[in-house]
Amino acid sequence: MSMFAFMGTLEIGFVYGLVAIGVYLTFRVLDFPDLTVDGSFTLGAAVAAAMIVTGFNPYLSTFCAALAGASAGMVTAWLNLRFNILHLLASILTMTALYTINLRVMGKPNVALIMEPTVLSPFEALGLSSMYLKVIFVAVCALIIGGLVAFFLQTQYGLAMRATGANPRMAQANGIVTKEKIYAGLALSNGLVAIAGALFAQTNGFADSTMGIGTIVVGLAAVIVGESLFGSRNMWVIIFSCLIGSILYRLAVSMALSADFLGFTASDLNFITAALVAVALILPQLRREWKARQAAKEAQS
Amino acid sequence: MIRCENLQITFNPGLPTEKKALRGIDLEIPEGEFVTVIGSNGAGKSTLLNALAGDIGSTGGKIWFGEKDVTRLPATGRTRDVARVFQDPLAGTCGNMTIEENMALAYGRTERGNLSFALNSKLRDIFRTQLARLNLGLEDRLHSEMGLLSGGQRQSVSLLMSALQPSKILLLDEHTAALDPKTAALIMDISSQIIAEKQLTVLMVTHSMRQALDYGSRSLMLHEGKVVFDLQGEERAGYEVKDLLNLFAKARGDGEELDDDKLLLGS
Repeated sequence: MSMFAFMGTLEIGFVYGLVAIGVYLTFRVLDFPDLTVDGSFTLGAAVAAAMIVTGFNPYLSTFCAALAGASAGMVTAWLNLRFNILHLLASILTMTALYTINLRVMGKPNVALIMEPTVLSPFEALGLSSMYLKVIFVAVCALIIGGLVAFFLQTQYGLAMRATGANPRMAQANGIVTKEKIYAGLALSNGLVAIAGALFAQTNGFADSTMGIGTIVVGLAAVIVGESLFGSRNMWVIIFSCLIGSILYRLAVSMALSADFLGFTASDLNFITAALVAVALILPQLRREWKARQAAKEAQS
Repeated sequence: MIRCENLQITFNPGLPTEKKALRGIDLEIPEGEFVTVIGSNGAGKSTLLNALAGDIGSTGGKIWFGEKDVTRLPATGRTRDVARVFQDPLAGTCGNMTIEENMALAYGRTERGNLSFALNSKLRDIFRTQLARLNLGLEDRLHSEMGLLSGGQRQSVSLLMSALQPSKILLLDEHTAALDPKTAALIMDISSQIIAEKQLTVLMVTHSMRQALDYGSRSLMLHEGKVVFDLQGEERAGYEVKDLLNLFAKARGDGEELDDDKLLLGS
């Protein structure tokens, strides 16, 4: 793998690390499988790109992208909490609606940002080559945001959010308004995913209406890879492992694509994704079964 | 302290599965009284507790805590007054969080929501002192995951958690039923200590006639959603388990033999 390809992998790994943190918040913390992210990733990219092209400040645009993502999450939460629509289905509805909304926001299927100012523009004066600058910028973003989320999950509010997902009845018996925590959690999660989308658009120079497809699988893959590698209960480690998981996943994908003897082409990406996630899910299960057999053998002898 | 006026609860009203769980309960429990609640399965004991805690909205009637009408208040709005321990040891705690995190959650029961660290050394000291009362060695395991503890240990911690913040009412829903006899005795012991110490108003649902008479100062018997017997004072002092069993049979009104083994065997 060339240096250029490696840096590109790292960059995407960090961007999707934010997605992984968002997915961790819904799937693991709130126990709310949320597929809205497929839509909110594109929404973040679309809002940021459309605003930048119109002439808004890239930072303001990214902030608005986060707000848009958060609102999308709130819509999913509202459908689920107010009308008792199954969480999975509620999120699929929002995701489907977002596809149209994204096209409307951009006004066309894709927006190019090649010559536009981005969040990276103020740092271009530093003289770093854009390859390194992008990686450093997204890495710093991901680490700062990850740190904030890890801190948040250890505050009183964050603890209440974790209890909401783990044991809602106990949470309520302890005075936690669980609905409010679910709204907040979905807003936060989709806000993060939208930021990831906005960063992706600005570092890659475009926003496209189909760029969000499969975001949930990638995010989930990163969470699972991270979990199976670290398996800690410490919040700092967990959030960090989401980022590492995302990077490792990206590395595995790009290695599979670049290994000539496998004969994969770029269009085989989705198969590789699915296969990698399946392996990440199967391995821990096999390990458990193997351990159980070992224990049974020992008990016999 | 607690006052119910014609409290009614109907599940699935208007449907073929309609169930009248409480059919008009009138009850007045003065502050500091420890009431035990007995009754056969489906009598409405747990429903009564859940209604008081706010888990279930009432279909009719009113509930007061002191001078406050709490009938329309949801469970989360009543936690300033009410603490509770569930029957299922897994229900009162979060298995995938540590002991100290669980206790911090309970500690925040009356005030919550700010963005400062949920745990600090001052809180850990409080938790350690409380856990030491159990004599289970849990005070050295603050960082252990709750899911690693046994059912009895988890129930003990739930009990401590219910008393971490001052509240006036404690609702115990068969909180020793799922435990082995030795642990159950320990839990009852600590419950009595906490109740006496904090002078709580208590409702304890139990399946054990022995417990119902041994603890507290008043016993209620529920049957088909009504209070059929309210035992207190001198009269209660003279009661034995077999008298209660007779009352039970009478309440059913059919002289039918008791087939609920749990009632007879409960120690």
